[in-house]
Amino acid sequence: MKVFIDPPNSLILFDLVERFGHEPLGAMVPIQERIDNAELDMPPMNVTLDDVVRGLKYAGVEVPSGIRGRLSLWGPLIDEADAALIMTDPPFNFGCVGCERSNEMVKYLIRRRKIPALTIRYPDNEEEAKATVGQVKEFLEGLK
Amino acid sequence: MSEERETRVVMISPNSTITPDQLVREVHAMGKELTVKETCYGTLIEGPKGMVREVLAALRKKHPYDVFSKVRAYPAGDPRRCRAQHGTRPGFSQLEAEWEALPLIQHGIQCIDRGDKFEVPKEKEKLPVDEFKKICEAS
Repeated sequence: MKVFIDPPNSLILFDLVERFGHEPLGAMVPIQERIDNAELDMPPMNVTLDDVVRGLKYAGVEVPSGIRGRLSLWGPLIDEADAALIMTDPPFNFGCVGCERSNEMVKYLIRRRKIPALTIRYPDNEEEAKATVGQVKEFLEGLK
Repeated sequence: MSEERETRVVMISPNSTITPDQLVREVHAMGKELTVKETCYGTLIEGPKGMVREVLAALRKKHPYDVFSKVRAYPAGDPRRCRAQHGTRPGFSQLEAEWEALPLIQHGIQCIDRGDKFEVPKEKEKLPVDEFKKICEAS
């Protein structure tokens, strides 16, 4: 099954989803598409005109362009996902920094789709790490 | 995702005794036609998707708790991202943050694979106003 990860650029979540036998959907997938096919110079800093239009499906025209640009990449992934894995309370430099409103919007879009979603806390110690991995394993094995 | 190319970031946990050099040699020894680039945190592996996945599966089998991986959007050595060519590195803070957390995740996977039981940590609650007032008045 396809599992959307939030933060979408997380190596830890990407690895855990793959390790437990599912296909992770992260930010790297649409960015690579734009590098290989659209030949954009610096995605996600640059997007195509189609992306801007696509972003309107997920964020209104009055929403700042940065949020709409980000959601034009991640929104289709959320639509495609069968489940989601969300990590909360990470350190400030973990995940897509720069726009907390985009991150809030991603969580809202996941909730709105009503797909199975697991929210886990960023581990601060070994006990919490064990619980984090255990929860992820139970959740992903339950999806099969 | 492109069927032709897949680039993988392979990161070694700081708790591991494997070195990036060792990892690169292991990939080379598999005899696949892949681009392998040694980095400070591990390696970048690039090539046809199927072949990259085969190599990754072999690495995971050999080092189940030491090696972590994700897809990288930009090709290995891309001038827009390569430090040697003064590319910008906006993803570096993320890699650094994950590198610091890997020993915890490594420990977690080892415990769960061993069959250890775990307790879900309680949600942090907000501090009641009365308690906060007591703290303020105490000092």
